[in-house]
Amino acid sequence: MAEVKIITEHYDKDEFISLEGYKKFDGYKMLKKAFKMSPQQIIDEVKSSGLRGRGGAGFPTGVKWGFLPDNGEERYLLCNADEGEPGTFKDRKMMERAPHQLIEGMIISAFAVNSHKGYIYIRGEYSYAAKVLEQAIKEAYDAGLLGKNILDSGFDFDLDIYRGAGAYICGEETGMISSLEGLKGQPKLKPPFPAIKGYLGKPTIVNNVETLASVIYILRDGVDGYRKYGTEKSAGTKLFSVSGNINKPGTYEVPLGYPLMDLINNECGGLKPGRKLKAVIPGGSSAPVLTAEECQKANMDYESLAQLGSMLGSGAVIIIDDSNCMVDMLNVIMHFYHHESCGQCTPCREGTGWLHKVVSSISSGTGRLQDIDLVDEVASRMMGRTICALSDAAAMPARAFIQKFRNEFEFYVREGRSKVKGVTDAQL
Amino acid sequence: MLNCKVNGKEIKVKQGTLVIDAIKQADYDVAHYCYHPGLSVAGVCRLCMVKIGDNPRLQIACNTPVQEGMEISNEDEQVKDAVKWGLDFHLINHPLDCPICDQAGECELQIQYMKFGQYDPEMAEKKVKKRKVVDLGSKIVLDTERCILCSRCVRFTDEVSKTNELGIFNRGDRSEVGTFEDKPLENDYALNTVDICPVGALTSKDFRFRQRVWYLKNQSTICTGCSTGCNVKVYYNEEGLFRVKPEFNEDINGYWMCDQGRDVYKFVNKDFRLLEAQSVTEGQAEPLSAGKAAQLAGEKLKELTKVNGPESVGVVVTGQYTNEEYESLFDYMVNKLKVKNIYHWVNNSDTMDDFDGLLLRGDKNPNTYGLKEIMKKYSIQTNMSDLEGAIKSNTIKTIVVAGPENQAVYPDFNERASLFSQASNLIWFSAGPVSAATSKHTLVIPTKTYAEKSGTYVNYKGTHQSSHKVTTIVRGALSLSDSVTLMSGESILTKPVGPQKAMKTNFFVNKSGEL
Amino acid sequence: MEAFSDDILVFIKKECSRYETRRSAIIPCLYKLQEKRGWISPEQIGQLAVAMDIPPVQINEVMKFYTMFNQQPVGKLHVQVCNNISCTMNGSRELTDHLCKTFNVKSGEVSSDGRVTVSKVECLGSCDTAPMMQINDEYYENLTPESATKIIEKLGK
Repeated sequence: MAEVKIITEHYDKDEFISLEGYKKFDGYKMLKKAFKMSPQQIIDEVKSSGLRGRGGAGFPTGVKWGFLPDNGEERYLLCNADEGEPGTFKDRKMMERAPHQLIEGMIISAFAVNSHKGYIYIRGEYSYAAKVLEQAIKEAYDAGLLGKNILDSGFDFDLDIYRGAGAYICGEETGMISSLEGLKGQPKLKPPFPAIKGYLGKPTIVNNVETLASVIYILRDGVDGYRKYGTEKSAGTKLFSVSGNINKPGTYEVPLGYPLMDLINNECGGLKPGRKLKAVIPGGSSAPVLTAEECQKANMDYESLAQLGSMLGSGAVIIIDDSNCMVDMLNVIMHFYHHESCGQCTPCREGTGWLHKVVSSISSGTGRLQDIDLVDEVASRMMGRTICALSDAAAMPARAFIQKFRNEFEFYVREGRSKVKGVTDAQL
Repeated sequence: MLNCKVNGKEIKVKQGTLVIDAIKQADYDVAHYCYHPGLSVAGVCRLCMVKIGDNPRLQIACNTPVQEGMEISNEDEQVKDAVKWGLDFHLINHPLDCPICDQAGECELQIQYMKFGQYDPEMAEKKVKKRKVVDLGSKIVLDTERCILCSRCVRFTDEVSKTNELGIFNRGDRSEVGTFEDKPLENDYALNTVDICPVGALTSKDFRFRQRVWYLKNQSTICTGCSTGCNVKVYYNEEGLFRVKPEFNEDINGYWMCDQGRDVYKFVNKDFRLLEAQSVTEGQAEPLSAGKAAQLAGEKLKELTKVNGPESVGVVVTGQYTNEEYESLFDYMVNKLKVKNIYHWVNNSDTMDDFDGLLLRGDKNPNTYGLKEIMKKYSIQTNMSDLEGAIKSNTIKTIVVAGPENQAVYPDFNERASLFSQASNLIWFSAGPVSAATSKHTLVIPTKTYAEKSGTYVNYKGTHQSSHKVTTIVRGALSLSDSVTLMSGESILTKPVGPQKAMKTNFFVNKSGEL
Repeated sequence: MEAFSDDILVFIKKECSRYETRRSAIIPCLYKLQEKRGWISPEQIGQLAVAMDIPPVQINEVMKFYTMFNQQPVGKLHVQVCNNISCTMNGSRELTDHLCKTFNVKSGEVSSDGRVTVSKVECLGSCDTAPMMQINDEYYENLTPESATKIIEKLGK
């Protein structure tokens, strides 16, 4: 097996960015096909395809669409382009290289869920991608692909872009909705879920960039064609953002279920000479770390990684070689969650700070032996106790690092220096 | 009605009841900070965790409606652990300044730690430092370090007062409650934020550092600040009254009261009171006991009505007394003395019907409605404006005034007092001193305030509310009813007047905006 | 205090009617205000509150929630070096230290000539080209301490 370029087939071509170029490679052809189908048919196709949300949670997209109430209220389709999970950059690539793919995916999805207004919520730092998208949206409006009576189908859809302004939490769908509503990007209590009461209290579907683009190829290849790749429960291909200590970092599209070691050694060109694999974070910084041994058994799909106690997440694969100190790395991760907790729920607000302080004191050589267990104890009490999953996202890596690399933490406490680097974090 | 079980106890609750309220209904304690029945659900303190059925994921009780057959537990070990840790998360960055914190004794952190916590804290890191003693204007002081970010106060200014002064700034454990650029929090309901603050983050300048709450008793009564008649609790001890807080009444004031009403206790305290009766004849003042004065007044009135006729007596009544007092006064005047010149003293006729849309009404009397009812009952139709002519033409020679106990809300007080003083005889029932009463023969008799007597007030919409005696501040004062009894020549059981003890003055009361 | 220029007022008005709710225009308007000086002052928040007819506290809450809004002056070149996992693994800390030393600033502070601010930021979604930095709106990738210094010096001219 090797890379399978379905979504990313034309990403190497600059002309794919413009409407004209996009059309050259069958762009907007599936939109025409969609308009010949009934919305329910599209929903059924997406359901049968087994497509699961590509943002991180992996919830079946067709099922999510099916939650919309049939009450005549206006509906919103929001694209979550607030890609903030450390290690993830595939959505940026998609928007910069194929803006029309996202727009087409959104129009088809909007038609399927009968929404007439959509927003692409893009993280504020992605200003280049935002410009590319703005230009593409303008082209689409000029070509009658957005607005009233698209391609004489009788279907109306308006699409606008909204820039975030620097908050990881806005990647959480209700945090994103709050932000779009002009509030602090704090997640909302659930229930009600966005499909029932979302943006401005109206039924709302929030899908990731890659999820929306995938809809095009489900229509193109049919359910069977789509399911040709991937596993029974993790269907299709997926974009992986690979980074860290690796020869060829980048975005790779491979079928779900692809062996992690193949991805590392084949697509990504292996590790730097003389280096040994120490660990891999397989699904963004929130995903529990895998040891080198576990990596041998890991396949890149939802089930396989869950079995190993980790998760596929956003598909951000961070390769860690033996030159890294795990205490140091955990400190970087804990700094991130401490910085990004929205501050709403007490266990997360206080817990992320507490974890960061304890790990930081270990990594500055002043930790106590009981601090190692304390990290695990505190983290365990942050899980499943808050409105959104950020608290869990901070707790999971903390617990996994301690559990799997305990000897490095103990060494640090006993010797007051890193086992790998020989000095403390502050001395580096 | 829905059936559910709380910790094994079967109860029935109304459709739509939240689990947190069901737990309270079943008489169990439930830890919580952010939930407040008068505000929207925030669900952020994460303390009211419950186990529902065998769902392994704990739910928050404040955002979960009861469903038929629901089995709720907050005594499960998993819940206890979650609550204990939830408290610890609240406390790790909380400053340990309880000894100098005004909330101590009624602080929810202390109370809930004793109920649900009692663990050994493991936090060994440095606490987050935040701003302390932030001056939010004439009424409130903010300590952001003590704040547990429950957002009750923010929701209050957003949803109830709709004044939007408060917000929470920054993220994570750097989050800080405050106003934009420390602007003062001066809306008419601002002090409710102090009440609902579960910790010592928002404290009242009026109450700060005056009493430890465990030295105070409290008693439910009715606020007499305006015709709304909010249900309140008065906090007091032998030194006097110290503060007023709202008490829930769905039909009258909900959970709130206005800030003006909170000041109403002040005139009750001795510093502002008439402690004994005064008889002034041709400028010669002579103190005497209230009982003696009332008896004297009765004898005088009997004499004067006999000599000059009942038409020569005018009675001026304010809307500040209880129904029971009106009843005895009117019975005495109309039936016994045949006096029918009874006038309703309206203090601020221009703003009488004002209403701010929430609680605050322009009629600054607790019982205008009750007074009007009694006047109707005795078929009294008089006009206060006729009184002036009658005094000047000497048709009315004697004036009896049932004056306001809260003189501050009577802007025409001195003007009226000098008018009444033109009559040759003046008998004035008053809670506070009346220096402007300077008639040839003046008798000022000290009356009890609302906090010192029980009785009925009828609010703006005709709701009768019984008010209960809180305490006695001026032992020599009489209720209007007692005065009337004595005036009629009958006797009441009175206690001897003891020595008056001076009350401690609050340095902060009159120093708005200073700390 | 300087009054809002006409183009800003026109922008605010336009954004206020662009979305379903006026509040959604807060972020776009804050971006607009930041464009000119690189940061947003409390006075500007007050002015914006009047122009948008939204309580100032709500605008302040939004501004202080999002890290891209600067509450203090920043240098003409706002150099933000990603210090998250993949960048740290590829030398972003050394890069930040080098830049701070070279331009004689502490992390997060403005250089004495007002030209450069170097700050550490969280993941910018460019992990495959680590280490990287963002200067104002632009990304600069696959850096070495030397190449980053050159870029800043060139932009500073």
